[in-house]
Amino acid sequence: MNILKRYSSILIPSTLLALLLWGGLKVCRVDLTVIIKGIPRGIELFSHMFPPDWGKIPGLIEPALETLQIAFVGTVLGGFLSFFIGLVAAKNIHSIRTLRDTVRVLLSAERALPDLIVMLFFVAIVGLGAFPGVMALVASSVGMLGKLFADAIEEVDPRPLESLEALGATKAQIIHFAVLPQILPSLVANTLYRFEVNIRMSILLGVVGAGGIGFYLVTSIRLMRYQEAMAAILIILVLVTLCEKSAEIIRKRIIGQEILR
Amino acid sequence: MLSVRNISKKLPDGRPLLRDISFDVQKGEFVGILGESGVGKTVLLRCINGLTKPDHGEVIMNGDGNPEKINEKRGKELRKIRRKIGMIFQGSILVKRLSVLENVLTGGLGRMSTVRSLFYGFTDGEVKRALEALNQVGIRSLAHRRAETLSGGELQRVAIARAIFQNPHLLLADEPVSNLDPKNTEMVLDFLKPLTEQMAIIGVFHVPKLVSQYCTRIIGIRDGRVVYDGAPTLSDHDLERIYGAGKTVAETSIN
Repeated sequence: MNILKRYSSILIPSTLLALLLWGGLKVCRVDLTVIIKGIPRGIELFSHMFPPDWGKIPGLIEPALETLQIAFVGTVLGGFLSFFIGLVAAKNIHSIRTLRDTVRVLLSAERALPDLIVMLFFVAIVGLGAFPGVMALVASSVGMLGKLFADAIEEVDPRPLESLEALGATKAQIIHFAVLPQILPSLVANTLYRFEVNIRMSILLGVVGAGGIGFYLVTSIRLMRYQEAMAAILIILVLVTLCEKSAEIIRKRIIGQEILR
Repeated sequence: MLSVRNISKKLPDGRPLLRDISFDVQKGEFVGILGESGVGKTVLLRCINGLTKPDHGEVIMNGDGNPEKINEKRGKELRKIRRKIGMIFQGSILVKRLSVLENVLTGGLGRMSTVRSLFYGFTDGEVKRALEALNQVGIRSLAHRRAETLSGGELQRVAIARAIFQNPHLLLADEPVSNLDPKNTEMVLDFLKPLTEQMAIIGVFHVPKLVSQYCTRIIGIRDGRVVYDGAPTLSDHDLERIYGAGKTVAETSIN
């Protein structure tokens, strides 16, 4: 009895988990033999991709730049908006409680929506192209950065704010000279991180109609031009890597230097 | 120049903290406010520049010929009066990620238009005056260091430089030396004292001995009322009135 009691705390949850997993595998038709049987087809597809169609690469630069621009514009506009939204959503800056709470609720609602659905929503409003892609990225950047900035603003040391209030500074001056310097590291680091997320999102949004390299990739796969697709994949790898590296360099320059100074 | 009239303030739980406090302060005075901790000295200072609103009474500032009731002002008008009142807080209140010079320059924000300050539009003349203020407290060489790299004594000297740059009629000092060692305490007070040539200073202090040395007048507060208002030399009897029975000059002269 005692042994049963001791083991039941492990046995019951693990049995449940195993049952759920087994059911899930059945429902999703996960079958190793199918994969093994499919391997030759995979190799064939892969062999069709090689060699990549190098000749198409110059023509891919422009769609790649479009993807980059969608991510860049979406991040900059989103980051900028998020700063102001963060101010409105922060307890220690904004005193109108209902407005503050409304903004917080809207932000979390946005975060709950998958980006692709936001994209479809904007496609319905403004049609296909880079514009709805930018709008979708702005919206999802604000959902994340707006909350992070609001939290960062709420955590600043309040004493410098009050000391500036005491000598007659306006709210805008207090935000500029006491709040902004304190949240700058969080502002820079999170916006750069969001840029890295947005560049991937921008490729994905291209697949569903925002243009750019993602659109090119999905079209060439549909037309079974696999060598072209491989060229697009290589360009994507280069694009994402370059963006991450440059974000890292900017982060080090802005935040790192400040720590050293 | 400053008139505090019948100020009363209750704590959030309804207990009275300040009861009917009145005094006048003239230019050139260095007033030291004494009292046990928790007696409401800081709240009194905050009532003077409107950071806290008194429940009753008025605070009248008469810096340049037209008296203004601080406790009735809000928004822009309140900011206009606050330009003329400097404040040094207990411990450092500087923006740690800004340079020492930038922190001093923020002392002029009340005089600057918001647009100009948002573009860091400090003029050469302002920068020069800020550097002079730093020179006056002996730390001009630290001007371009970030505030967070400074020691406690240095930070408090930056706060004084900022007050000098602000050039107010009245300077409020809320326990400006409470976190400092004796040497730095003396230095900070030595920098504060000569400022009374241009302004009045009201300071909250812990140590009666220091106050007697530097201040021109003492206001003692006990149970929310002014129990002493006069010369900076205190007899044992005076101390007893402020701090209660059984305390002598020697005991209250910690540090």
